[in-house]
Amino acid sequence: MSINIENLTHVYNRGLSYETVALNNVSFTINDGEFVGIIGHTGSGKSTLIQHLNGILKPDSGRVVINGIDLGSKETNMAEMRRKVGLVFQYPEYQLFEDTVAGDIAFGPGNLGLSPEETEERVRNAMRLVSLPYESYAERSPFDLSGGQKRRVAIAGVIAMNPEILILDEPTAGLDPRAHREIVNMLTNLHKNSNITIILVSHNMEDMAEIADRLIVMHKGEIFAQGAPEEVYYERNRLLEIGLDVPQPMMFMSMLEKRGIDSHRSILTIDEAADEAERILRGKI
Amino acid sequence: MIRDITLGQYYPGDSFIHRLDPRLKIIAVLVFIVALFITSEFYGFIFTAVYLAVVIIISKVPPRFILRGMKPVLLILICTFIINIFVIKGGDVIFKLGFLSIEQNGIKMAVFLVTRLVMLIIGSSMLTFTTKPMMLTDGLESLMNPLKKVGVPSHELAMMMSIALRFIPTLLEETDKIMKAQLARGADFETGSIVKRAKGLIPILIPLFISAFRRADELAMAMEARCYRGGENRTRMNALKFSIRDLVAGAVTVLMAAGIVITKIAM
Repeated sequence: MSINIENLTHVYNRGLSYETVALNNVSFTINDGEFVGIIGHTGSGKSTLIQHLNGILKPDSGRVVINGIDLGSKETNMAEMRRKVGLVFQYPEYQLFEDTVAGDIAFGPGNLGLSPEETEERVRNAMRLVSLPYESYAERSPFDLSGGQKRRVAIAGVIAMNPEILILDEPTAGLDPRAHREIVNMLTNLHKNSNITIILVSHNMEDMAEIADRLIVMHKGEIFAQGAPEEVYYERNRLLEIGLDVPQPMMFMSMLEKRGIDSHRSILTIDEAADEAERILRGKI
Repeated sequence: MIRDITLGQYYPGDSFIHRLDPRLKIIAVLVFIVALFITSEFYGFIFTAVYLAVVIIISKVPPRFILRGMKPVLLILICTFIINIFVIKGGDVIFKLGFLSIEQNGIKMAVFLVTRLVMLIIGSSMLTFTTKPMMLTDGLESLMNPLKKVGVPSHELAMMMSIALRFIPTLLEETDKIMKAQLARGADFETGSIVKRAKGLIPILIPLFISAFRRADELAMAMEARCYRGGENRTRMNALKFSIRDLVAGAVTVLMAAGIVITKIAM
């Protein structure tokens, strides 16, 4: 499904002395099946932005159009839109409440009024996608699991709704490197194996460089830059100015360049950097 | 959503009233309330009304903000007015319908009581509008200190209160977050029978309780790790100081009270 944001503005506490403009006239388009990364500081408007995409927040002005359906229109079936646009919040493990993993994942499908068989099928499928084997985890209490596992249960709870757009707000925050890796791999596979649109909000520049097709950089409620990762990261100094980082491999290559070693700049991942370093070294010998 | 609820009702500012010692403000509110209740004639309210108006103007709290805080008690005000207007008898009959009648004294009394109630509510909310909750508990603790001698754990009570106040916004935010997360999973809190709606709260309450207990646990640990030992010989980072400002405000309050007492005796 495609997403069209037109001149979206959102203001918190309008009219009070502490009113804040969280989004200021933001417009962009996300195409069907794209993997888009949104980066920006805390307070740059990322979270506010994604909450508009399934209608939990209403725009103060502007429009959010998903697959041609205007979320602001009175005729729109919001429950249906919330099913189509799955939203995984920050620290989603705090929303778990059932006494079994399967029960918690079944909460969403249950709300859709599916038959028990279909619900179980959805739960099994979602657990497979987040690589938690059904046999060993379905009947366990979600509160006995590790942080990374809890988070995967929570993500599975959203995936079980069969969304056509999946939005994740900092899904790797506070996880150890291994759990982090698992979540990133899970997202890569999910995007590869199904044609759902994924929007990922993250601070992690390396992840973004690796998996996103396109990046949107938010700053002070406005779009600061957007484009393919190599284009966005190319303007390294601008990003550093607003306190954001660029991926380490890019830093590495630009430092090599400073020392007079020529290379091409569209290097984003560690693998590519290693290949390039090897090429340079072999050339020297 | 839930974020829009103003709780604690503090209106940020830096006015003369905002900077007053919270102890003085608490006492002034008490004096103000007593003054309202010993007033028995309409013109007695001139003193309290002027006093209140001056406080509101100096504090720079917008009247719109004050009126918004009146909304929840509007029903009580209307009921008071209607009951009094019909029940109090005496004076000329103004309106008669069957056994219901409105007489002159009824109207007088109804207006009198509603005026008193409105001033009471605005007066006490000016305290919370202009005093940070933490300052308020500090003030209360300091005022309750003499009661320590008779075994009232004033420090502990104030500590509990400030912790509770401190966590209201946190828990509100948390509730908001959990509600949104469950909404995103198709939860429905607004339609259906009462039983269905009550059941709909389970997915919010369980995560909320879990996180509240987790936070309480973490806070207790953090406090113990820093050797918190309760009230004995504890000093404060921001000690309350009585200044000239407070003296002026105190004097004005005393004048207001004196005015009321004198008119009362003179009558």
